[in-house]
Amino acid sequence: MRKQKILEISKRMFDKLLFACYTMIMISEEKLKILTDSAKYDVSCSSSGSNRKNGGGMGNGFAAGCCHSFTPDGRCVSLLKILMSNDCIFRCKYCVNRAGEDVRRASATPDEICELVMDFYKRNYIEGLFLSSAVFRSPDHTMEQLLLTVKKLRTEYGFYGYIHLKGIPYADGALASEAAKYVDRMSYNIELPSEASLKLLAPQKSKESVLVPMKNLSLERSVFSAEKHKGKFLPAGQTTQMIVGASREADGHILKLSQALYRVTGLKRVYYSSYVPVVHDSLLPEKATGELREHRLYQADWLLRFYGFTADEIAGENENLPMEYDPKCAWALKHPETFPVEINRAPLELLLRVPGIGARSAYKITSARRYSALSFDDLKKMRVVLKRAKHFITCKGKFYGEQKEERVKLLLAGAEARANAEQLSLFSTAETALSALTGEL
Amino acid sequence: MIYLYDGTAEGFLTAFLAAYPDEEGAIASDGVQLPLGVKAVNVATDREKAEKAKKRFLSFDKYSMHDLSRILRSGDHDKDETAFCYFRLLAEKKRPVSEMLSEEAARRADECIRRVGVEIHRLRGFLRFFETESGALYAACAPDNDIIDLLLPHFRARLPHFPFVIHDVRRKKAAVWDTEHCFFAPLGKAEVLISADENAWQNLWKRYYSSVNIPSRERLKQMRGYLPVRYMKFMPEFSRPHG
Repeated sequence: MRKQKILEISKRMFDKLLFACYTMIMISEEKLKILTDSAKYDVSCSSSGSNRKNGGGMGNGFAAGCCHSFTPDGRCVSLLKILMSNDCIFRCKYCVNRAGEDVRRASATPDEICELVMDFYKRNYIEGLFLSSAVFRSPDHTMEQLLLTVKKLRTEYGFYGYIHLKGIPYADGALASEAAKYVDRMSYNIELPSEASLKLLAPQKSKESVLVPMKNLSLERSVFSAEKHKGKFLPAGQTTQMIVGASREADGHILKLSQALYRVTGLKRVYYSSYVPVVHDSLLPEKATGELREHRLYQADWLLRFYGFTADEIAGENENLPMEYDPKCAWALKHPETFPVEINRAPLELLLRVPGIGARSAYKITSARRYSALSFDDLKKMRVVLKRAKHFITCKGKFYGEQKEERVKLLLAGAEARANAEQLSLFSTAETALSALTGEL
Repeated sequence: MIYLYDGTAEGFLTAFLAAYPDEEGAIASDGVQLPLGVKAVNVATDREKAEKAKKRFLSFDKYSMHDLSRILRSGDHDKDETAFCYFRLLAEKKRPVSEMLSEEAARRADECIRRVGVEIHRLRGFLRFFETESGALYAACAPDNDIIDLLLPHFRARLPHFPFVIHDVRRKKAAVWDTEHCFFAPLGKAEVLISADENAWQNLWKRYYSSVNIPSRERLKQMRGYLPVRYMKFMPEFSRPHG
């Protein structure tokens, strides 16, 4: 009986199927490889911040973001990152696709990209599209093609999923404003953290070519929401990316710039990409920048956005972040007068400044302590990571950490590890050993 | 004494009422293997009693029934005990206990609920649909927790015009959207005939997956932390390319 019912229902279900009859335009594997290969160095892959509703086609925005797969390098695959074309007229020194370079060139048509997005999305491979491009023919022409593609995807193909569009510097501002009505997020890449470095390494770009459209879009966005227009205008805001280590700016300088971008243009995120030499040039460093530096910058960036720190507190203008411990530890060590803090009384802002205590743990502590005073053991059971925190807190007045400053430093930096090397034999490289010790692994 | 219930929230609440006054009371869903020599009694689900208990718990904590539903979905072997201890604490304190993390019972429930939530979130991303000959979409999975009915609304909202089936092969059941109705049905084995283009799209996806990886930065441990191996067997990017 039950079986029959299922059969009946599934038959009905298949009968109802209507197909949009269009000729299939499937992109070739070769083209896909060329156009995605060079897009992969774009760091941003987040699909969060938009709650676009399904308006009768396919897809919607999922405000929390969603990772669909992970590659062996540990990165998340959320969006289909693809270039419209890799045939560039610009000659940025660090880029594989720069004009005159001997690489295979390809361009995709708007329909090829739309088809790909629809079929990938339908199978739940991706959360949406990240469309970028080399500058082909002219900035305006490139931006027109990008706009055409996203417009087509939204209106003809009825796609309501996430779209992140890369802005092309020097393109007409009206094109960007038009595109902003169709996409969820836009980004102009700053690429290098100072005008001087841009001049040196990306001579055809200038600070203004990136910052001006960013500011314009942010202004238009606030006007759009103030005037309560129908539809959407960049619901997930703007982001940017810069390469770290290709030029000489110190971390302090970079963080100051990020802070200004967050405050002035209301950026959602700044992405840092540690420099990887893909082309050789006498103006570029021979060696790749360590990933640890990138990691420290992200940690510092989080402190700026979620932990109430300012750039000056984290690092001076010409200072680099310490490699031995994370920036919060570094700050705490510089401010012994603040610590230890009593876990049962310290305000949230102060708890957030304790090394090793993240936002989640801080909130757990503030809500749990309303019911009873917390002991060191309670914290452990609540899975608050205490490896670093114990040197900076007291629980019911008791201190469980190391008193001597020098020893605390040693413990935090993992210098101790060298003495007890066997404990760490599980981890193959010095860097993983260090991150294992600091609890980041 | 162990009080056995039928696995539903109502059954649990009825059994809870019987077990609560019993100092050595415990709750288990029927069908679990009980140790020898343990006294057990079947508690028949009583809707009226359950409804009363539900109202009372909701007056203590408006999220309590949501919490119960999540815990009962868990694949943990001791989920019934987790739920029992949590609701006993709630009955004692008569106010929300979910944040009293210094209490063992609250902590256990919190972790259990979180694990179920984490898996729901993971599968929203890791579920993979195959296009069948008829155009309907089919996805198989073997989640740790009983969650496919909670996944369905997510996909219904984004694929309203596509009939699809989410198949939990471990629990042998399926959640179906036929573009008008949702329903749930037992489903043992499914024979799926894939559409003509399915393999080609899968190959494109595999090509994409391998080209976005940066080989010089291999971090397998990190990858597996985010994407545990048990999910991979249903994901085409981890199988060989088609001919």
